[in-house]
Amino acid sequence: MAGIGHWITTFYESTVFVYGTVLLVIYALLGLFSYLAIRNFLRKETYTNYFDLLTSPLSPGISVLAPAYNEGLSIIMNVQSLLTLNYPTFEIVLINDGSTDNSMEQLISQFELVAVDFAYNPKIKTQPINHIYKSTNPAFGKLTVIDKVNGKSKADAVNAGINIASFNYFVCTDVDCILDKNALLKLVKPVLEEQSKRVIATGATLRIANSCEIDNGVIIRMKPPRNLLARFQEMEYIRAFVLGKMGWSFINCVPNVSGGLGLFDKEIAIKAGGYDQQSFGEDMELMVRMCRYACDNDIDYAIRYIPETLCWTEGPVTVKIFKLQRTRWARGLAQLMYAHFKMLFNPKYGRAGMITFPYNFLFELLAPIVELTGILYYIYLILTGGVNYTFAILLLAFVYSYSVMITTMAILWDQLAFRHYKSWREVVYLCSTALLEFLCYHPLIVIFSLRGYYYFLTGKKHSWGNMQRQGFGQKKKT
Amino acid sequence: MPDIFADFSPEEPVRIPLLDSFLELPVIIQIAVIFIFISSASIVFIQVRIWFTRYKGHRMQKRLAVLLPLIDNLISEHIILRNDVMNNSVHADNADLDIDAFRLREFRKKGNKQILIDRLISYRKGFSGSTGALLRRLYLELDLDKVSFKKMKRSQWNTKVRGIRELTDMDISISDVNILPLTNSKRNELRSEARNAYIKLSKNEPFKFFDISTEPLLKWDQIELFKTITTTENIALPSFARWVTYSSNKSIVSFCLKLIVHYNQIDAGPAVVKLLDNKDHVLRAEAINCLGKLKYEEVEQQLLHIYSNQPLNCQLEILKAIGRMETRHSVLFLKQEFLYSTDFDIRKNAARSLVRNAPKALIEELMASSSEDGQLILKHSMNPLIKY
Repeated sequence: MAGIGHWITTFYESTVFVYGTVLLVIYALLGLFSYLAIRNFLRKETYTNYFDLLTSPLSPGISVLAPAYNEGLSIIMNVQSLLTLNYPTFEIVLINDGSTDNSMEQLISQFELVAVDFAYNPKIKTQPINHIYKSTNPAFGKLTVIDKVNGKSKADAVNAGINIASFNYFVCTDVDCILDKNALLKLVKPVLEEQSKRVIATGATLRIANSCEIDNGVIIRMKPPRNLLARFQEMEYIRAFVLGKMGWSFINCVPNVSGGLGLFDKEIAIKAGGYDQQSFGEDMELMVRMCRYACDNDIDYAIRYIPETLCWTEGPVTVKIFKLQRTRWARGLAQLMYAHFKMLFNPKYGRAGMITFPYNFLFELLAPIVELTGILYYIYLILTGGVNYTFAILLLAFVYSYSVMITTMAILWDQLAFRHYKSWREVVYLCSTALLEFLCYHPLIVIFSLRGYYYFLTGKKHSWGNMQRQGFGQKKKT
Repeated sequence: MPDIFADFSPEEPVRIPLLDSFLELPVIIQIAVIFIFISSASIVFIQVRIWFTRYKGHRMQKRLAVLLPLIDNLISEHIILRNDVMNNSVHADNADLDIDAFRLREFRKKGNKQILIDRLISYRKGFSGSTGALLRRLYLELDLDKVSFKKMKRSQWNTKVRGIRELTDMDISISDVNILPLTNSKRNELRSEARNAYIKLSKNEPFKFFDISTEPLLKWDQIELFKTITTTENIALPSFARWVTYSSNKSIVSFCLKLIVHYNQIDAGPAVVKLLDNKDHVLRAEAINCLGKLKYEEVEQQLLHIYSNQPLNCQLEILKAIGRMETRHSVLFLKQEFLYSTDFDIRKNAARSLVRNAPKALIEELMASSSEDGQLILKHSMNPLIKY
């Protein structure tokens, strides 16, 4: 009996050791790859004249899809901001997903909308559309508003938008996000400069807008959030986008294009079935299905990322709202892995099956579970007196210093590319947050992820709901 | 004098207690300890690097704050605000130019010289005529072209691109021997820049590289080239039908179709019609699009003839082309496609072309007789608020 126990503990310890080592090596490689990718991007950027694209009749058209649910607080300002994007041929498709507030009344009155007989082909099934509106004012000619029955998911709203989108590419964003004025120009560039592959999606860095100075829907001064929870998220976003996504992009293994801002190939998205209404992680789920479709149909595809921040979103500032968001994300990840389990280590799906999907499974989905078992095992060892405290503290110090190093490195990459914050004190302020992440923020992520997995396993109801945002229009300039 | 080496024995190695205790640790812990030091040192190094990067940026801004007004004043005084130049009463080559005023110690440094080049280019983009020519002369007389040519000879692609861009912006000719090979470079950015430069700078045959290009013309390159071609003054425009007929590079053919439309080269019609037999359906669709935009009516019957054998993208382009031609010869065909096709996009495009071509009475008749879906499509096509 003792022999079996010893064998189990040895096996567990060895597995966790290998697991941890591989993860650390992956982070180191991502650091290197992201540096190379950012360097490439910056070199190209020096000689890029976006004005050529802005004035060219050859620029491909883009449909901007913005779903909204009870966003009456800031909807007018956000639509106005979207209408001022710099791009020669684009349309804004705003999808009012059965809002119960006065969003629709505000839109009709502000943009002089009238219901029109709009013929469209519903290639993706959605909840019924009540009316489609166009503006009688030529100044808002680019705007189309869909008023539909609430589909209880962002996915349903975006699918309705995809059905009526006129152009071959669509940009998916949230109506409460603030986009850079040149976001469309920059997102479409990787599509146009690809030589042999078909770029099926492009993403860009997202940042937290809390504490930034905003004027009429435009970020005029970036600042790290004053709220600690929001600051943790800012730091996490920098690490995930500038270091993570750029690193994956370098080897064409991007796992996900964020729902906040992404440009997609409409044909592939429709053929892949559009966004999944049942999914809690609809953006990642669509990306996986698009990759799957491309592999099944021998399409040599690519997903590209750019390190430049083109979108700002309001991060949750209370643990309660943050918990809802992260639980939902974790549940979405579990759903995704379950639905596409066939892709895991399946060479038929190329890099997606052999690198991206296994990474997500092993180091995103399983990580909180491994951490939980680790803590339980630690408690067991403490109770049985099996802990060498000197070694334990050294190992903890190692993991801590390594994680702080990776985060600080991500902030450096960001600073090398773009000096977003005005003073170096703000950068130090953000870097110092990394020292606390391990102790304060990371445990929350683990707990909420496990909660999400529990909800997935038990099938507990959990709507995508409203994140109770403050609304940028309500903020004062500081 | 005490013997300080009295206790030292050469056989016994020096013992360092801390190192000894480190070596006694298990290998895993040893690695962890080493990484703690590496990580901690890296954190400090990264913080210093962040600070240094920002400091460098700050220094650069300060340098620019001093140099830019200095350059601006010099250029204003010696070039822009000169009466003879403003009145165009003197040719730039004959005007007196006080070069020594620009030969300041500040501009001897490499970085500052680059700021001067960038500023001159920026001014040159804003001024044409004698002022522009005088700015170009200044660039040449300060030997700044040599700096740009030097960059062109460097091995890094980005430095080469920079050199080419500077020479192009200052309208300095580059010999074919140097630039033509670069138009076919494997490095996309370099290839694109060289092609742009060649079109801008070559006085006789700016499109010569179309003949030798084996590398594809990416969509981004096409946008840049299109801009260069359509904005360069006094460019010798050839008949683009030449490459539509002979080029084996599909991207060049595709680009030429766009240029044919832009310059409305109706004479290219027969060459474009030949593409209707091309095996590549994407190129075929582009050719149909081109013919429609040219309103090349001679091909209408041929388009109707091939319609049923085409894939969807070509069929849609044929419907659009017929609508654009506005000959009204194919109204019956459009009506049939609108009424009987099972594909939504075909019905929609047929309806749009019908609205452009058919008499009002026919539209009213269709509105009365077609299904609910058909009526909706017609209303959609007729509504001026809906563009697409």
